Amino acid sequence: MFWKSTYNEFIKIAAKPRSYIGLGAVTLLVGIILFAMKLDGLTYISFITASFEQSLSFEGNILNGNAMAFIILQMLIIHIPLLVALVTGDLVSGEAAMGTIRLLLTKPISRTQILLSKYVAGCAYTFIIILWMCFLALGVSKLIFGNGDLMVLNSEGLVILQQGDILWRFIAGFSLAFLSLVTIATLSLTFSCFSENSIGPIVSTMSVIILFTIIGTLDVAVFDPIRPFLFTTHTAAWRSFFERPLPINSIINSIVVLLVHIAVLLFIALYKFNRKDILS
Amino acid sequence: MRRFFYTISITGFFVISFNSRLIAQSPNSILNAVYNKMMKAKDYTVQLNIKVDLPFIKMMPVEAKVYFKQKDKFKVESKNIAIIPRQSFDQLTKMLSDTNAFTAVKSGFENIGTTQMAIISVIPSSDTGELILSKLWIDTKLNVVMKSQLTTKSNGTILTEYTYGSQIAYGLPDKMIFTVDVKKFKMPKSVSADINNTKKADTTKEKKKGKIYIKLYNYQVNKGIDNAIFKKK
Repeated sequence: MFWKSTYNEFIKIAAKPRSYIGLGAVTLLVGIILFAMKLDGLTYISFITASFEQSLSFEGNILNGNAMAFIILQMLIIHIPLLVALVTGDLVSGEAAMGTIRLLLTKPISRTQILLSKYVAGCAYTFIIILWMCFLALGVSKLIFGNGDLMVLNSEGLVILQQGDILWRFIAGFSLAFLSLVTIATLSLTFSCFSENSIGPIVSTMSVIILFTIIGTLDVAVFDPIRPFLFTTHTAAWRSFFERPLPINSIINSIVVLLVHIAVLLFIALYKFNRKDILS
Repeated sequence: MRRFFYTISITGFFVISFNSRLIAQSPNSILNAVYNKMMKAKDYTVQLNIKVDLPFIKMMPVEAKVYFKQKDKFKVESKNIAIIPRQSFDQLTKMLSDTNAFTAVKSGFENIGTTQMAIISVIPSSDTGELILSKLWIDTKLNVVMKSQLTTKSNGTILTEYTYGSQIAYGLPDKMIFTVDVKKFKMPKSVSADINNTKKADTTKEKKKGKIYIKLYNYQVNKGIDNAIFKKK
């Protein structure tokens, strides 16, 4: 019954036009980035190498598919949460707004299972978004720009990864990016349980992301104790897979923080949904 | 006793004649001898193994191939991203090709290992060029540069140590060690976009110099290289 309900929830997501906004937006954004990079990518790359190029000469194909995939992931991971929240924020509140939640809860299935089936369907949608982005970023970019080593600039300097050592890093990076998007999907689902309309949970989710990001980036000592526990601090943890040596402890820490957020938010959502008044 | 004085006289003669040969050689003639040796290699290709040990750059050793053709055609080919110092392969030949473009001054002698090197300072006549000063440690017996220190306007100072082997007849090294000034390297924060990185940079451990080790092997000298190779991107 649970899986049948999950399937139904997924069909509901697929039937809504707003679900395709995310896929369309990702396609358009990646298309624009690839077009711009094809025309003037070397100028963009030169920002990275400029300070070194006075003394050193960089040889080889720097502007390649792997570099494009990294740039795309870096640029879009900030904006994808909005596209995810657009769908997952509507999962419960949308039903409440349309009045179909009463009919839904007459089914011979527990409220917990109904919410979890919605959650799994929401996660599947998030997975499709990230998979589509992965295909465009890695597959299409490599077709256009070819293969090559990846040059990553982080706060400690340049890391150059050889092409044979990159694919697993992208798989791991996209997986961790998926986990951070699932956290955002869980947050919006939780807000959705408290709301009777779709706009509220979507706007609330984005407000929390913006607030946490600002707290995370403000280099003020007063925020130091809470910064490591904000989920937004760990949404960029996928970048850790492109460091050498691999910061295993930092990656595990990010995974744990994200999983704890997911568990706590899901618990709150289940608690609220099981006590939700559907009669008024 | 007579035999002792005889030995001393002979040794003294050789020491004096050797040093006087060094003293007698003008800096320009030393540089000419080095340049003429370099010019024996009209063209060459060579495989490189590049190991970078710079504080801001983390990368594995990579392979590359260099094409060089007199007078100034130079190309590096690599499947990987390779980093080489700007003042590396063709700078010396470019610099020494025009004897009117610089003033050479002999700055003394220094031993590298057990061999005495003549130190020649080369000062460009024009003050508009990139090169400000170069100092060359030259083995006057073999007519090869064993060490060079190039000071440029924008690149700082690059010290290069050369080790010779199979291609010494052409003045081509088997190993080069570049010591690069990395003080000027600055991280462009806006591009790194590592906005959530809360790690603070450890400035106390900042190194000011880094090294690039290049092993050169599989030389193909004077086999002819098509000019089209240098045009290919």
